[in-house]
Amino acid sequence: MTGGGAAGRKEGIFEREPARRVFAVELKESRIHFKEGQDEKSPTYVLLPTGERCNRVFIAGTLTEKRRQGEQNMFYRARVVDPTGTFFVMAGSYQPEAMQQVARLEPPTFVAVVGKPNVYQAPDGAALISIRCESITQIDKDIRDQWVLDTAKATLDRIDTAGQTPDGERAKREYNIDPALFRKVAYEALTQLKI
Amino acid sequence: MDISEAAERISLKITSHGHPADKASIESKLTRLVNEFGVPPAEAERTVLNELAREFSITTFQAAGGPGDQKTLGQVQNGEWVTVECKVVALTSAPSPSIAQAGILADNSGAMRFVVWARANAPALTAGKWYRFESAVVDQYKGMLSLKVHSGTTVTEIPHEGALKPAITPIRDLSPGVVCIRGKVVQEWEATHDRILQSGMIADETGGIRFVMWKEEGRERLNPGGVYTIFYATADEFNSRLSLTLNPATIVPEEGDIPVSTGNASFQGAFVHLAPGSGLIRRCPVEGCNRVLSRQNYCPVHEIQPQYHYDLRIKGWLDNGIETREILVQRGETERLVEMNLDQARELAENNPLGMDEVFMKFREALLGRYLACQGRVIENRMLVSACEILHYQPEQLADLLNRAGGSL
Repeated sequence: MTGGGAAGRKEGIFEREPARRVFAVELKESRIHFKEGQDEKSPTYVLLPTGERCNRVFIAGTLTEKRRQGEQNMFYRARVVDPTGTFFVMAGSYQPEAMQQVARLEPPTFVAVVGKPNVYQAPDGAALISIRCESITQIDKDIRDQWVLDTAKATLDRIDTAGQTPDGERAKREYNIDPALFRKVAYEALTQLKI
Repeated sequence: MDISEAAERISLKITSHGHPADKASIESKLTRLVNEFGVPPAEAERTVLNELAREFSITTFQAAGGPGDQKTLGQVQNGEWVTVECKVVALTSAPSPSIAQAGILADNSGAMRFVVWARANAPALTAGKWYRFESAVVDQYKGMLSLKVHSGTTVTEIPHEGALKPAITPIRDLSPGVVCIRGKVVQEWEATHDRILQSGMIADETGGIRFVMWKEEGRERLNPGGVYTIFYATADEFNSRLSLTLNPATIVPEEGDIPVSTGNASFQGAFVHLAPGSGLIRRCPVEGCNRVLSRQNYCPVHEIQPQYHYDLRIKGWLDNGIETREILVQRGETERLVEMNLDQARELAENNPLGMDEVFMKFREALLGRYLACQGRVIENRMLVSACEILHYQPEQLADLLNRAGGSL
């Protein structure tokens, strides 16, 4: 009997883009963004300075401020703070569920956010990065602390493997940042947790 | 198929009947059919052979160039002319008027499907008897070999001593074709079609495979948890995964239990997306259906079903930052994770203007952003979760990470 067998089975399964764990300081430094493929629906990525492409992020922190903006095209701008800095989170009319979730939250509170990073050019030429929110939910400190551990580990893993990946090489070329800086960031974030 | 080989076969057959054969002209006819008219090579060969046969008034071919080598079923390959001696282990209904009989043949080396063409004028085969098939053709469809009995095939019943000893294949090693396995019914699934009697998963210690049994007279459902030896089931590939069809296999229940590969995987990550279809759902009440109804209580098979029953489930995605895994959590674990049972969910939906959406939102608030550790069976990147825990902050990880981050400061 002939035929493919288990080894020859095709990969035809939908792959969801993983949500990267990244500290605010590192995301803020990201300005390289690119698209893979020519299709209109091809995913876009932001290149993290520690050398990994990122189509989606998962962050946890403190919602410190939310502001409603716009009349016709109403949207929310929110600030979420982690131990290293601030994420800028947006939820617009294209994310109605996320917008309703933001509307119900009262800062300050711990939140978990899943969203897609976008790079904008500010009028003064600086690159700004914000997260287009897919979902934002209230969490407790226990989860926030797990996220800090998770993100510290992911950051250290990226620093350790950056030398061996094409994205790592590219990040080294494009960003003039010593990866040791992000090691220090991770260390400092960890020192804020309780033993 | 090589055209000159086909031309050679045709000319041999013609000359064996004492007629002259012009190989060059046969070859050019074949080439024309194949290249200009896109006729499949095997069909072209048949066309040319028939044309010459009519020309010389040959009615039957005594397989030119010998009846093909005598082989066992385990040895034959796609495209070969062969002579085999084997037992008819099952007959199935002929799917088309051009087919006289179809079923499964076996010898000690293996088994495969067969088809007797109506035009073959072959004697009717009886299940359980042994036959010699001279000059039959082996072809392949969807990776599965099949023996074709045509007008050039000579079929004779032969006596046979001793019992047939089918080889049992470990489930992990299955490939498309007719197979024998011994396994345990580890899961029973909702029937996705009216004609399905039962579907589920059967496993041995090497792995598991989905199976389906179509409704047919005399077929009985397998007992979940039961161990069976299944002779001559058809393993075929659909959407690039194998599935076992139990008609017309012979199914023998076994005593006792066997170890099975649980196929259990575990995955940890953050819950990043709650998919539609989560929360409080309504299922079709028709026995064996159990499909999820749409908002209008519409079942894709049984239409409007106002007498639905409620269920709870979670469909969503776990994400560890590197990989994602779709998870499906049934009612038991769902109630534990969201700390809401079915009755509470119903009450919430009934007393709230948003109805079932309110339950969905409660689920979202309870789950999104949580770190979960799930265990279950993975089928095509989706995990059917049997156990799930909410993870908590672990200070010992902090010490390790501080060492790692601070090591080279």
